Amino acid sequence: MKKPYKIYSVIMFLLLFIPGILVLIMPGRDFSANENRYLDKLPKINAKEIFSGELQEKVSDAFNDQFILRDFMMGLSTSFKKTIGFKDIGGVYLAKDKYYIEKTTDHDIKKDQLVQNLMYLSYFTEKQKAGVYTMLVPSPGTVLSSNLPAFAPFYNPDSVYNTVNTILEKDGIIDLRRVFEKSSNKNFYFKTDHHWTLKGAYAAYSEYCKAAGLKPQDYNSFNPAKVNSNFYGTLYSKVIDFTAEPDSIYAVQTNQTDNATLDCDGQKRTGIYDKEYLDKKDKYAYFFGGNYGRADINTGSSTGLKLLVLKDSYANSFVPFLLKDYSQITMVDARYYNGSILDIASSGNYNHILVLYEVNNFTGEKNIYKFIK
Amino acid sequence: MVFSSIIFLCVFMPVVFTAYYLCPAKARNFFLLLASLVFYAWGEPVYILVMLFSTVFNYFAGRIITRLKEKLMPVKAKTIFIIAVITDTSILFFFKYTDFFIQIINSTGFSAIPYIKIALPIGISFYTFQAVSYIADVYTGTSKAQKNIINFAMYVCMFPQLIAGPVVRYGQIEKKIYTRKLSNKNTALGFQKFITGLGKKVIFANQAGALWEEILAVTASGNSVLLAWLGAISYTFQIYFDFSGYSDMAAGMGQMLGFHFPENFNYPYQSKSITEFWRRWHISLSTWFKEYIYIPLGGSQKGFPRQVLNLFIVWTLTGLWHGAAWNFVIWGIYFFILLFIEKCFLLKLLDKIPKILRHLYAMFFIICGWVIFASENLNSLGSCIKTMAGAGVPLINNYAVYKLYTNIWLLLIMAVCSTKLPVHMLNKSAGRLKLNEISVFCIKAVFTFIILTVSTALLISGSYNPFLYFRF
Repeated sequence: MKKPYKIYSVIMFLLLFIPGILVLIMPGRDFSANENRYLDKLPKINAKEIFSGELQEKVSDAFNDQFILRDFMMGLSTSFKKTIGFKDIGGVYLAKDKYYIEKTTDHDIKKDQLVQNLMYLSYFTEKQKAGVYTMLVPSPGTVLSSNLPAFAPFYNPDSVYNTVNTILEKDGIIDLRRVFEKSSNKNFYFKTDHHWTLKGAYAAYSEYCKAAGLKPQDYNSFNPAKVNSNFYGTLYSKVIDFTAEPDSIYAVQTNQTDNATLDCDGQKRTGIYDKEYLDKKDKYAYFFGGNYGRADINTGSSTGLKLLVLKDSYANSFVPFLLKDYSQITMVDARYYNGSILDIASSGNYNHILVLYEVNNFTGEKNIYKFIK
Repeated sequence: MVFSSIIFLCVFMPVVFTAYYLCPAKARNFFLLLASLVFYAWGEPVYILVMLFSTVFNYFAGRIITRLKEKLMPVKAKTIFIIAVITDTSILFFFKYTDFFIQIINSTGFSAIPYIKIALPIGISFYTFQAVSYIADVYTGTSKAQKNIINFAMYVCMFPQLIAGPVVRYGQIEKKIYTRKLSNKNTALGFQKFITGLGKKVIFANQAGALWEEILAVTASGNSVLLAWLGAISYTFQIYFDFSGYSDMAAGMGQMLGFHFPENFNYPYQSKSITEFWRRWHISLSTWFKEYIYIPLGGSQKGFPRQVLNLFIVWTLTGLWHGAAWNFVIWGIYFFILLFIEKCFLLKLLDKIPKILRHLYAMFFIICGWVIFASENLNSLGSCIKTMAGAGVPLINNYAVYKLYTNIWLLLIMAVCSTKLPVHMLNKSAGRLKLNEISVFCIKAVFTFIILTVSTALLISGSYNPFLYFRF
C-alpha cells in the first residue's frame, strides 16, 4: 500500500534532477534564435566573484537559460497566461487576427525627448538648402487600434503629431496617418514583427513621391516577390506563442535592386539584399543586411538626383522603391553613426533629404542630437 | 538561494535530499547543517559569518546559563541571559535599524550623521528571533540547553525556514533533533506540500505582484478608484500567497526531512475580524511576540492601562520587525488601534451583524493595512489612499476595465484558493466517492505535477519573480 508514495517521490525527484544534470553535462547553447538574444552560460569559477555573490547569480541565470526544452517551456508559460485571460505578455498585446502589437501607453511616451528631438531636427532643417521631408510612420497600435484587445490602453497619437506640427515647418511634413488609418489597409504591418510590410512601405512611397514632386510608379511595376514565408519577428520573440502564424516577406525586384553598388560602413558590395538573413532569425535584415551607420548606394539610375535618408530600420524596406528615382542615395542611421550628420548633408549636394522614423522610435530616440553635431 | 529558482529546484533540492536519505542517521544533522550553510552562502557569501557568530555565541550562552542555574547562581544566570539577549538584538538592530535611526536623528536638523548603508543579511530577523526564543526558553527552564554544537547550529541555520520563516521555537523541534523517522509517506506528502507552496508563490503571488507593480506605475492622470482598488487587492493576494507559499515550501521540506513545523497561516482572509486575522496570519511570529514580549511585559495581568500599553509596544515592534521604515511603524500602530477598538466594544457589535458584512469589514481593513505596508514613503501612501477614496480621479477608466477583465480569472481563482474551499471540496467529494487515502493522494499527485510544470515554465520564461523578504 505504501508503493504510490515511493513511486511519486522518485518520479518527481527525477523530473527535477534530470534537467539539472543535463544543464551541467551538455554543451551550452550560445544563442536563442527563437528569442533573438544571447543566452547566459555557466561561468568559469573564480574566487572573487564567489565572495561578491556574482558567480552564484551567473550560475542561477545560466540554469534558466540553458534549461532543456526552454523554448517549449516559454511557449507553455504563454499558453498558461493566455488561458487565464491575459491579453498582454511581455509588453506585447495579443491582438485580433493573430497580430502582436507592442504595448505603448501614454506613460511610455517621452514628451520631453520628443520636443528636444524636434528642436534638433528643426535646427537641422533650417541649415539645409535642399528640401527636407519628415515622415513619421504611425505606430502599428494606432493604425490597428480596432485589433487591440477591448479597452487596452494605448498612447494617443494625436498629441504626438500635434507637437510635431507645432515645432516643424508645415510643408516638410508628410503625414501618413490618413492613408494608413483607412480601415481597408490592415496589411501594412507584420503580424509578428514591429516593422511595416512592403505594402506599408509602398503607401509611404506614394505619399513621399507626391510631396517631393516625383511620379509614383504602380506597385506591380516593382515586381514584388515573396522571398520568405516563415518569418517570426521581434514581437513573436517577446511572446513565444505556440499559436503564432509566420509572416511572409515581400521585396521589390528591379534592375537596380540587383545591380546597385553599395558602401555600407566601408563594406562594399553589389545588390541591396542579403539572402543569408532569410535562413536566420532576423529575416527583416534581408533588406540591406540590417542597419549601418552610413550606407551609400549608387543606384545605377541616370536621373542625376541625390537623396539623403536619416532613418531607423523602417527605411530599409522603403528605400528600394526609390532606387529608380535617384542616382545616389545615402542612408544614415544616427544610432550607429558618430560623425557629423550636418557635414554629410552640407557636403553631399543632395537634392532631397528625407527623415524617416516610426513615430514612437523617433519620440524616444536619444541620438537625434547627432543631426546637428 | 531562493526556493523559487531553477537552480534550487533542479540542483540543490534533488542533490541534498537524495544525499540526506542515503546518509546514515547519525550524520544527518551534520549533513543538514552543511547543506544549509551552502544554501545560505549561495546568496550571502560574506554575511554567513554573522549567522555563524550568532550560532556559536548563543550556543555558549545557553550552556553557561544552564551551568550557572545548576550551580544555583540565578543572578549570574540572569546577567548572562540579559547580555545574550542584548547582544542578539544589537546585532539585529545594527544591520536593520541603524540607518533608520540616523535618519530620525538627522531629521531633527541638529546633525548630519552619515548613513552606514549596509545591506541587511537575509533571514537575520528570523534566526535572531529563533536564537532569542532558545535563550529565553533555556533561561526559564522550558527547554534544556543543546550540548552538541552541530545540533544547535543545525537548528539555527536549517535552510527550509532560514530566510522566510516560520519562526520555529527550539522546544517545537527539540525531540526531532535526536530521532526523526523518515518515511516514504512523509517524503511524498511533504513534497506535495512543497509544490503547493511553489505554485502559490510562482503562479499566484508573482502574477498578482506583476499586476500590482504595473498599477503602481500608473500616474495620477491615468488612475481611477477601481484601478487603485484593483492594485491594492492584487497586492493583498501577492503578499499572502508569497508568504504562505514560502511557509508551505518550508513546512513541506521540513516534513521531507522528518521534522514537523508549526502551521504558519490558517486561511487569514477568511477572518471575520481583525482579531481573528491576527490569529490566522503569520502565526509563528504573533506567537513569538506574545510569548517573548507581551507576556513578559505582564500581558493582561497588570490592569487595563498596562495591558493597552503592552499591546501598543507589541504592535509597534511587530510593525518595525517587518522593515525599518515609518510605514511599517504606522502599519503596526494601525493594527493596534483596530485591535484595541475590537477589544473594547466592536467584537461584541460584530457578533450581531450578518457574517458577510463581518467578512467585508475585516477584508476592508486588511486591504487598507497592506496599502500602508506596501507604501515605502509616506507621500505615495497619501496619494494611494486619496486615489482609493476617489479624490481627484474618476470612479472608473478604460485602463481599469482592461486590467479587471484580463485578470478577473486570476483574481477569482486566487480568492477561492485563499479560503479553505478547495481543500474542503476535495475532502467532501473524497468522502462521497468513498475514496481511500491512496486515491486522494494520487489525485493530488496529478495536481502537483501540473503545478510543478506550470511553475517551472513561468520561472524559465523569466516572468516577474521578486524576493519580498530582503527587508525582514
